[in-house]
Amino acid sequence: MIDTRELLKKFEPAKDAKIITADPQVRSARFSPCGKLLVAGGFDGRVRRWNVADEATLELPALEGHHAWIDGVAFRQEGELLFTADSWGQLCCWGSYAAEKPDVNWRLEAAHDGWIRDVAVSPNGQRIASCGSDQLVKIWSIADGGKQAEIAAGRDVLRVLWMPDGSLLTGDDRGFVKHWKDDGSLIRQFDAAPLYTLSRLQDVGGVHALAIDREGKLLAAGGTIPKNGATVTGPPTIFLFDVATGEQKHKLSLGADSDCYVADIHFHDEGFLSVVTYGTPGAGQLLYVLPEEGKPFFTRKMSNLHSISWHPDGKRLAVVATNPGSNGNGRPLDKEGNYVGNKSPIHVFGVSG
Amino acid sequence: MNYSHLCTPTDHVLSRRAILGAAGAIGLGSLLAPTRAAELQKKHKQVLFIWIDGGMSQLESWDPKPNTVFGGPFRAIATSVPGIHVSELLPRSAKIMQHLAIIRSVHTQDNSHSAGVARIQRGDPKNRGVTYPYFGSAVAKLLGPGDSGLPPYVWIKPGSSGFIHQDAGFLGPKFGAVAFGDGKPPENLVLHESLKPEEDDERNTLRQAANARYARGRRKQMGEATSYVYDVARTLMKWQDLFDTSKFDPRDVERYGTHEIGRHMLQARKMLEAGVTFVKVNSYGWDTHGDNFNGHLSLMPKFDQAFAAIVQDLADRSMLDNVLVIAMSEFGRTPRINGHIGRDHWPEAWSVVMAGSGLKRGLVVGETNDKGTFVKGDEHDIGALFHTWFAALGIDSKTVEYDNGGQPLPIAHEGMQAVKELLA
Repeated sequence: MIDTRELLKKFEPAKDAKIITADPQVRSARFSPCGKLLVAGGFDGRVRRWNVADEATLELPALEGHHAWIDGVAFRQEGELLFTADSWGQLCCWGSYAAEKPDVNWRLEAAHDGWIRDVAVSPNGQRIASCGSDQLVKIWSIADGGKQAEIAAGRDVLRVLWMPDGSLLTGDDRGFVKHWKDDGSLIRQFDAAPLYTLSRLQDVGGVHALAIDREGKLLAAGGTIPKNGATVTGPPTIFLFDVATGEQKHKLSLGADSDCYVADIHFHDEGFLSVVTYGTPGAGQLLYVLPEEGKPFFTRKMSNLHSISWHPDGKRLAVVATNPGSNGNGRPLDKEGNYVGNKSPIHVFGVSG
Repeated sequence: MNYSHLCTPTDHVLSRRAILGAAGAIGLGSLLAPTRAAELQKKHKQVLFIWIDGGMSQLESWDPKPNTVFGGPFRAIATSVPGIHVSELLPRSAKIMQHLAIIRSVHTQDNSHSAGVARIQRGDPKNRGVTYPYFGSAVAKLLGPGDSGLPPYVWIKPGSSGFIHQDAGFLGPKFGAVAFGDGKPPENLVLHESLKPEEDDERNTLRQAANARYARGRRKQMGEATSYVYDVARTLMKWQDLFDTSKFDPRDVERYGTHEIGRHMLQARKMLEAGVTFVKVNSYGWDTHGDNFNGHLSLMPKFDQAFAAIVQDLADRSMLDNVLVIAMSEFGRTPRINGHIGRDHWPEAWSVVMAGSGLKRGLVVGETNDKGTFVKGDEHDIGALFHTWFAALGIDSKTVEYDNGGQPLPIAHEGMQAVKELLA
């Protein structure tokens, strides 16, 4: 039995965070495996990098060449490789990611037809998987960007990750998680269909977050149970499955309808899940929860959280938020009369663990 | 006898009987100057008005700003007209751009749904203490029903049916909308099998006698309205094929889409072919304050499919010369993206797409700045669009007036004028 009080003593985020403000907004932020960088994919086609090896957390020059939104960010420690993917279908491999000006090892301008939703590096570090709204999962050689396999997933694939054994998991817009061999044959399907609904014309929801524990035994699929389309609401929810049997082990309901989506999930080695949610403007949560308990043992309300990343040292975590007051129908103008967009305060919390 | 002005839920369920019953409460509004009406009858103009309720994002549709800070994730694509690009979420519409006219400089005054819907559809005229008609009612009044005998203002919408007299404002309830919930016909439209045609004729004779008795001692308009609504119901009885979707060509059903807006748009085409003057098609669920981009990724292809299909069909049937097509919302959506990954309400700079009667084709009028935040150059309010649409229908909005019981009222905001660049 895990003692949540002990967990909190070790991992409760400090009250105050170091805040790195990304302006304009970013989609997510990830610590590099070497721990030197925090990397975020922007709404503006730029890959943002901050040096988190020292207190100043200075920003390094942004990586250019992408378009629109960068939703895919992944690393390989060996060779300091960074992989980024954008909503226009470009996949890029950068070498020496911590350098002032990283190399472009290869760049596939049209890796997918449209929005690449996610990327993931294989456990052996030789391949990268990408998935997108073109309903395809593609596997690429990290060495040269050559395509090695393509899986017709049949739905908009929102999330992809590798299993420790080299098989793949995908989460789609209908609330299904599929377990694939790397040759494209389907091993198993996990039914998290309550994460989807059809509301009038709109297909709503799907698997917005996907995570696996270290052993590859327990799978977490997160999103919301949508009540409606348009301004989507619904309780943030995670379904946990036994990978071997496909059995649903737990269902975690993590908030009110206004809290809406589970955006990101991380399995901590000490047995708990750290989770972030975003909902109606201003509504966001950083949560710790034990799978078998169902209710979070730690909740911090924040403004619309979109990603969570643990530093390799285990003593810091970064969550991407949105500035308060991000919504409204009026004209947000600054003193000079310029239209004001929103920002992403990235909160870097220290933990005692 | 107790009487209440308040509605009950069943009041808006449309049935033939309900239509007939409602007749007694209906009076006629003022009439258009006879000379003008006669002129318009020569060539019957029609309108297809597609109402995207809640607010379609201009940035994810007709005015994309790809790869800019507020542009969102989507690409822009080329259209059939060189130099004009639209969102990649409109691939079918892009192929028929040669029929379309886009205005990207729409700037309106209301950012709320509750007031905005009515304000936009009434043309936001100067306040004279009267309730102006919705565009559908205005067109029904100004163009008349045509020869089909069908009601001049038909509304195909999700949800319930009913006679929506409120749309007519001061014109009087006769010019309200006959709403067909989910495109369904009025209940009990088919003559009961036990009733022979000659018996129905007898009933009709009895009705006429009753009407005449009812009309004595009442205003003339009351009697006319009673007859009008009854005639609408009887006419609908003859047009049951408009509602029998099982007889629709399966290829059409496939092309338009089996989803709600596809079904409704195909039915709208049938209504236009049958001669209805003004057909409104509603789609709900576009108020994407949250998850705007996944929302539009799902919504837009369905709109695109149905919209492109009907515009192409109208073009193929040479109906675009007489049918004015308008697709719009009550406002656009904010450039900035909120924490719910949504866009809020934005009346400052948005787009409307049009096609058909009286308009130039294959063009874009007006523009927004590089980030899509505000209009660059002349802004065009809904009053200007009303003038434009009336002109496109052959109605001179500077001279034609409503006669509201002796009170002359302009049919569109007199401080505004048509967007001439749009007019053929």
